[in-house]
Amino acid sequence: MVMQLTENPGAAVAAPPPSPGRIPPSRRSLIRRGRRIATPYVLIAPAVAVLVLMLGYPLVRLLMFSLQEFGLRQQFGAPARFVGLHNFGRILSDSYFWDVLWRTIGFCAVNVALTMTIGLLLALLLRHLGRPMRLLVSTGLLLAWAMPALTATVVWQWLFDAQYGFVNWLLTRLGGDYEGHAWLSRPLSFFMVATVIVVWMGVPFVAFTLYAGMTQVPRDLLEAAAIDGAGPWSRFRYVVLPMLTPILMILTALSVLWDFRVFTQIYVLQRAGGINRDTNLLGVYAYRISIGANRFDIGAAVAIVMVLITVLLTLVYLRQMVRQEEL
Amino acid sequence: MKLNKLAALGLVGAVVLAACGSTSKDSTGGTTKETPASPASTTNQGATIRLWLNGADTKQELVDYAIAEFKKQHPNVDVKFERQQWTGIVEKLTTALSSNDSPDVVELGNTQAQAFEAAGALEDLTAKKAEVGGDDLLQSLVEAGTYDGKFYGVPYYAGARVVVYRKDLLQQAGLQIPKTLDEFVKDGITLKQKNASNPNFSGIYFPGKYWFASLPFIWQSGGDIASKQGDQWKGELASDASLKGLATVKTIMDKASGAPKDGDESKDYVSFCKGEIAMLMAPGWKIGQIVNPQDGCPAMADKIGAFALPGGTAGTTAPVFLGGSNLAVSAKSKHQDLAFDLVKIMVSPGYQQKFAAAGTIPALKSLLGQVGGDEAAKAQAEAAKNSRFTPESENWAAVEASTVLPDMLVAIAQGGDVKAEAAKADSAIANTLNG
Repeated sequence: MVMQLTENPGAAVAAPPPSPGRIPPSRRSLIRRGRRIATPYVLIAPAVAVLVLMLGYPLVRLLMFSLQEFGLRQQFGAPARFVGLHNFGRILSDSYFWDVLWRTIGFCAVNVALTMTIGLLLALLLRHLGRPMRLLVSTGLLLAWAMPALTATVVWQWLFDAQYGFVNWLLTRLGGDYEGHAWLSRPLSFFMVATVIVVWMGVPFVAFTLYAGMTQVPRDLLEAAAIDGAGPWSRFRYVVLPMLTPILMILTALSVLWDFRVFTQIYVLQRAGGINRDTNLLGVYAYRISIGANRFDIGAAVAIVMVLITVLLTLVYLRQMVRQEEL
Repeated sequence: MKLNKLAALGLVGAVVLAACGSTSKDSTGGTTKETPASPASTTNQGATIRLWLNGADTKQELVDYAIAEFKKQHPNVDVKFERQQWTGIVEKLTTALSSNDSPDVVELGNTQAQAFEAAGALEDLTAKKAEVGGDDLLQSLVEAGTYDGKFYGVPYYAGARVVVYRKDLLQQAGLQIPKTLDEFVKDGITLKQKNASNPNFSGIYFPGKYWFASLPFIWQSGGDIASKQGDQWKGELASDASLKGLATVKTIMDKASGAPKDGDESKDYVSFCKGEIAMLMAPGWKIGQIVNPQDGCPAMADKIGAFALPGGTAGTTAPVFLGGSNLAVSAKSKHQDLAFDLVKIMVSPGYQQKFAAAGTIPALKSLLGQVGGDEAAKAQAEAAKNSRFTPESENWAAVEASTVLPDMLVAIAQGGDVKAEAAKADSAIANTLNG
């Protein structure tokens, strides 16, 4: 700026800085309006910049990988050849990929359903509990939520340990034959343990949010319904639930997103037991291909498919948000 | 309101990013400083060589010795030693060796080396092979260090699995150290039966994912993991010979082991310390882990012995997997000659002798007779004489990463059909090895 002024003093002379008082009123409002339009963009710019840097660039790289032949050689400087959609063709024609995809969708559906149901029940419980108990329950929920996924999974994995686990000890004490029972060895019971962990970590957020939503249901509406003879179930079904629907939709969408790309829980449990081939979900599968086997190209293709599915699911979430905004 | 929050979030994000940026700059600061010295590399004034070694296999005193020797030759060059963990080392090397900030000398596990050699991550040392021992180098480690006829990875040290056992438990059961592989299996079953009151007890500890321990049985019966026919790999696990070995493994898992059928071997010392293991196939350093004062059981020390896994007839040993390491110079090293000088010291007889004295198998054949140390070290040296290696392919690391072998063993342990599981593994292994 300063440089320009000294190099071209004529410009400064030709257009003397107008003192504020001399600007005609119409122009002043124009500037003000321009400023008003610009302000939001200026304010959002850092956020957008951060998003582009942190999400945009890796996404572009991921897309590049998925269209190239990219292994360890390319990582060390060999030229990467573009192969079009070859990598996608390779995974889509691999029946094992479809196994993993359906398994992931199934796992996600079961976990979301359980998370939402238990979360809703806990929210109702919170609403009807007395103050001290409510405090106790919410503290418990908060602790479960605050625990890092890795720590939680390791603790749960030890609880279910075949030889020294608490669960086997307890069930044996209760008269069952669970001595040395390997919970992780069969896919179904492996996913049962995984579900316990994922739901356990997902429920607190849902419960708190729904509880907060319930406090927004006007008391007088409920009273009016009660006076009209609606029992607890009808009051919940016809008054509370409709008012919670937008929140429920958003929570469901978020849970689907989280449970679809679950990684830590599965990865840690796989190290502890079970057959990896039968327990891979998409997130872990993509990791094993790219980082484990150094096939960054095919791993990226799997990841892109995941991104596409996630985007589809997010659209539902965004539409719901926009619609709510309009209300 | 909402907008302000967003902006605030953006700001916070920007600050966090900026913070991250500055720390990463700091951590590389050490090497950026040396760049000005590069043009003057004829004198190597002020250069720094970064040395990466993995795990606890190389004791600190050996590192100190190597650095001191290096300083005698190059008083003006610094050696920066950075100890790495074995866990996750492949991922770490993949990023480190391809960055501008690459370490100069690295240690590679012998099953991992070929992937990096094929990728062009390492300096070609073919012309200098004679300077680091030449024909005196351990053959199987030379093979691990060679790709496409070129020599990249200098043999560093080797290790073989031995049987670690409880002297008192064998004595109680009236058993001697087994002389053949069949006897070993039979003794394992006997030991398990004699301690039947504890369902977790293992005559031979064999968790389902412990694929390294299954190799001697496959090899002893004449089988293999895979074979190369022309330029195509073919899985060999479903061959009759391999199936015989796998059947023995299944017998051990069913009748001699109390280990989790889908567990791995990483916590074997815990079970050993609980007194639930009579015999255990493990690397020689396992005894050190068992008797370590932090989470081991030092009191058990004098009850622990070791022997080499016996072979088909008395007086022979079974073929075991020869683990080990290679040293290599990064292709991106800015001081390749200096880096090679450091490697030369670490495979010199003076340095390797210290390995041998401590019970590690040295990389030089001429020093094999000098391996000293405890019972485990002697057993290890004996076992190493009959050693084998995993298929020599740049894609072998990918086979390991795909966990196809542990998956197969767990399925077999759970009662899956041995032949069908082996055939499934064969096609997966062939697919990966053939790219």
